[in-house]
Amino acid sequence: MNVVSNKWIGQRTIRPDGADKVTGRAAYAADATMPGMIWGKILRSPHPHARIRSIDTSKAEALPGVKAVVTAKDIVDFPVDTPVPLGIQDMRWMCRNVMAREKALFHGHPVAAVAATTEEIAAEACRLIEVDYEVLPWVIEIEDAIRPDAPILHDFLRFEGRPSNIAGKLEHRLGDVEAGFAEADVVIERSFATRPVHQGYIEPHACLVSVAPDGKTTIWSSSQGQFMVRAMTSLLTGIPQSDIRAIPAEIGGGFGGKTIIYLEPVAVMLSKKSGRPVKMVMTREEVMRATGPTSASRSTVKIGARRDGRIVAAQGTFYLQAGALPGSPIRGAAGCAFAPYDIPNVHSVGYDVVSNRSKVAAYRAPGAPIGAYAVECVLDELAEALGMDPLELRLKNAARQGTKAAHGPVYPRIGFAETIEAALAHPHYKAPLGKRQGRGVACGFWFNAGGESSAQVNVTEDGNVVVTTGHPDIGGSRASIANITAELLGIDYRRVSVLIGDTATIGYSNLTGGSRVLFASATVVTQSVEKVITQLRERAAKIWGIDPDAVKWEDGQALPAGDNAGRFPPLTLKQLAAKASETGGPIGAGVQLNTTGAEGGFATHICDVEVDPELGIVRVVRYTAFQDAGRAIHPGYVEGQMQGGVAQGIGWALSEEYVYDRQGRVDNASFLDYRMPVCSDLPMIDTVIIEVPNPKHPQGVRGVGEVPIVPPLAAISNAVYNALGRRFYSLPMSPPKVLATLEGAAA
Amino acid sequence: MYEFAYHKPSSVADAVKLLSADPEARPIAGGHTLLPALKHRLARPTALVDLSGIAELRGIRREGDKVVIGALARHAEVANSDAVKGAIPALARLAGTIGDVQVRNRGTLGGSVANNDPAADYPAAVLGLGATVVTDRRRIAADDFFTGMFSTALEPGELLVAIEFPIPEKAGYAKMKNPASRYVMTGAFVSRGPQGVRVAINGAGPCVFRQREMEAALAANWSPDAVANIRQSPDGLNSDIHGSAEYRAHLVTVMAKRAVADAG
Repeated sequence: MNVVSNKWIGQRTIRPDGADKVTGRAAYAADATMPGMIWGKILRSPHPHARIRSIDTSKAEALPGVKAVVTAKDIVDFPVDTPVPLGIQDMRWMCRNVMAREKALFHGHPVAAVAATTEEIAAEACRLIEVDYEVLPWVIEIEDAIRPDAPILHDFLRFEGRPSNIAGKLEHRLGDVEAGFAEADVVIERSFATRPVHQGYIEPHACLVSVAPDGKTTIWSSSQGQFMVRAMTSLLTGIPQSDIRAIPAEIGGGFGGKTIIYLEPVAVMLSKKSGRPVKMVMTREEVMRATGPTSASRSTVKIGARRDGRIVAAQGTFYLQAGALPGSPIRGAAGCAFAPYDIPNVHSVGYDVVSNRSKVAAYRAPGAPIGAYAVECVLDELAEALGMDPLELRLKNAARQGTKAAHGPVYPRIGFAETIEAALAHPHYKAPLGKRQGRGVACGFWFNAGGESSAQVNVTEDGNVVVTTGHPDIGGSRASIANITAELLGIDYRRVSVLIGDTATIGYSNLTGGSRVLFASATVVTQSVEKVITQLRERAAKIWGIDPDAVKWEDGQALPAGDNAGRFPPLTLKQLAAKASETGGPIGAGVQLNTTGAEGGFATHICDVEVDPELGIVRVVRYTAFQDAGRAIHPGYVEGQMQGGVAQGIGWALSEEYVYDRQGRVDNASFLDYRMPVCSDLPMIDTVIIEVPNPKHPQGVRGVGEVPIVPPLAAISNAVYNALGRRFYSLPMSPPKVLATLEGAAA
Repeated sequence: MYEFAYHKPSSVADAVKLLSADPEARPIAGGHTLLPALKHRLARPTALVDLSGIAELRGIRREGDKVVIGALARHAEVANSDAVKGAIPALARLAGTIGDVQVRNRGTLGGSVANNDPAADYPAAVLGLGATVVTDRRRIAADDFFTGMFSTALEPGELLVAIEFPIPEKAGYAKMKNPASRYVMTGAFVSRGPQGVRVAINGAGPCVFRQREMEAALAANWSPDAVANIRQSPDGLNSDIHGSAEYRAHLVTVMAKRAVADAG
């Protein structure tokens, strides 16, 4: 595709959801209401680990205003010995996560739920439910959970033949690492730790559910996938998918945390039992205690290089906290860690560790920042030991077209080296640093994803266009699809409305995640528009009485393909729409595909920090992110994704963490205590979009949403080292910790 | 919501009458502490006495060698007041760093001081300037006003009407914000003037307090260096997930030093 000729692709068009969001008209799940609606509330475990001997709900049921009570008995049980995969989730764990079954596995784990005519009555009824708990020993941190004498969460989990909290292992091997290290002149091995951090979406989970007397079920909810909501709810309630209509509300942030469900099946059972629509809205405290976050980690990374800077071997071990049920993102940690580099000998292992805290959920490039943090910090030390510029070291070893990655693929044309070269050439990299300032760099990789998507493109009777896809828009997909549709049809983007269908109005579409949405939906939208253009040419051909092949589509109108086709005045989209009925009927087309060829995303970041050595405060003062976007369909949104990822990475590196008290409870389950950065903590985050088009996509798109959170942890750590001459091997680099390290150095 | 009575008196006398008649009634100004407490059911007053209709509680004016600020003055009003900026610029700067724009346009001086949250800003200025708290019935010196965590010398039904700030020769304020809530982790308000040399520390302990050793050092030598080596004992200081008592003790020295630098 010729970039110069693009009229709408690459334009910063006005976002279709903007006005509604800034005026408060956008309808989120918590805004939904229905006549006769009642309120659901969840009773949560007061213990981090306890066997549930019995639950007596009789007093709660007797309370006036209470319409239904549910417990795990009302949720479909999937026995632990048979996997029931759904995407990357396993319903054995999901059924136990939405409602504790044999045991309560973390403080805040749902054990029962009530629906009542008011929220207050529902809350009061929860207090009347009597649960007989046998309190069990519990364990929170990874290092404690993998001790031989640790309390075991799940009797059915075995690791190396013994009961264990290690729920799984994932391993990538390439070449022979031992032989590789033997070739190395310099070997650096270091261990690292990161803390769990929450996705921090501003909108708590919410849903409104109505189960009609005939069993037809409608769900309005905040999620990253209405089809995921339908499938999981169906599995957990036993209601066939065909009887469930899941309607996506506008979403107030997800970052991966809304790729699973918490409330919907509970609300469905409450609605089914009560015969009333049931609404459930989490409090922030519930969000912090019982949803998300991402894993804590313990990792060790060893990298060896020859004197000339060529990396010859790399080994990584990554322990990730899964929370109460298996499923930490070890694939992202172990798989992405070394993926940016062409390394002949790699051994990368991830361990999935359960402990008594809320089950982790996906968080923006799940696992990848953890892997990159360790690798990119070791590379910084390696560059220092070799006397090389840290970006030159990365460039020398950068993966390129044809590189075989340890996690499997052989890369096609990628733009990783271009991001490093752009960083090397950027004024930021050579800008003088002030007193107590330091500069660090790091790179990152994210798999990206394709998968199932559906689109329907309809020409309206007045000659405009409505595009429907099946993905909640969390990163600008509607605006980007409008740009693409307008480009292909040769019409103004304002004539294109992009809507998000529900499970009844659009074909199956996998959830919004993996940086897959624009890649996949642009593919199906493009093919749908191409079909529409074929129809438009056929209609024009019919009107003119010539062969459809003799009609071309240009600038939003049909034209005879050449003088031999005949001489006819052009027919515009509006004119053809007006004649649609007499030329064959409505004009529109849809495409449903399992898309492939997403290809990875790469980024290189430069970070400057300033350290206040008296307080231990690290402040990011300048930040530039370079990323291969393939093709930036809507640059404003691409930049927004890059800035958002960096902002979240800054929080992870410097301030955010879950803190548990001595009773195994989250001690900072509110934004008053959970240290998330705000605008005033951040500099303007500069962005440089590199465009090396993905050869496997019609517009060249690569996913952009996740890779920007991958490099910041290490970029900031390396910058702090550059400023202070002291390395930190654990996050967050909070003020008391930085100060203690500085004082330790001085002493 | 549970039920309570709502009153909106138009004079201090009427407000005091309402508050005295019902020990469970609470005055409300900006509502920044009381409303969250109501929502969380930490407070269940029988009546709210809304002070917003009382003109005598408003106003900021210079009276000779002091600045008098009405209890209902919002933080933004103090921050932007020419009288305050001209006479006690450190106080205006302090007001301009409280919370965020929304908080500053709603929260009031009287509410903050009467609440005496250990992590609030204003108590440091009141104590650090040696101000006088004027109530409906008496005048209370700052040194006698702040009696402990969330407690003051105010009696039940007694209403804070205004605060008189003596104009110092020099005054400065420095604080470190809690990285989550943005309340004060530790702050220091220093001044030199008619009330002598004062160093008031907020955020670090359960209640704002004077750091006498630093005051003595500054009286002898008004410079940041004078306090740079004075260590605050961590005994009795706050300790939480954001910082230990030792960290806060360290901050006392740093903030005092920076406050003196701020004062010039």
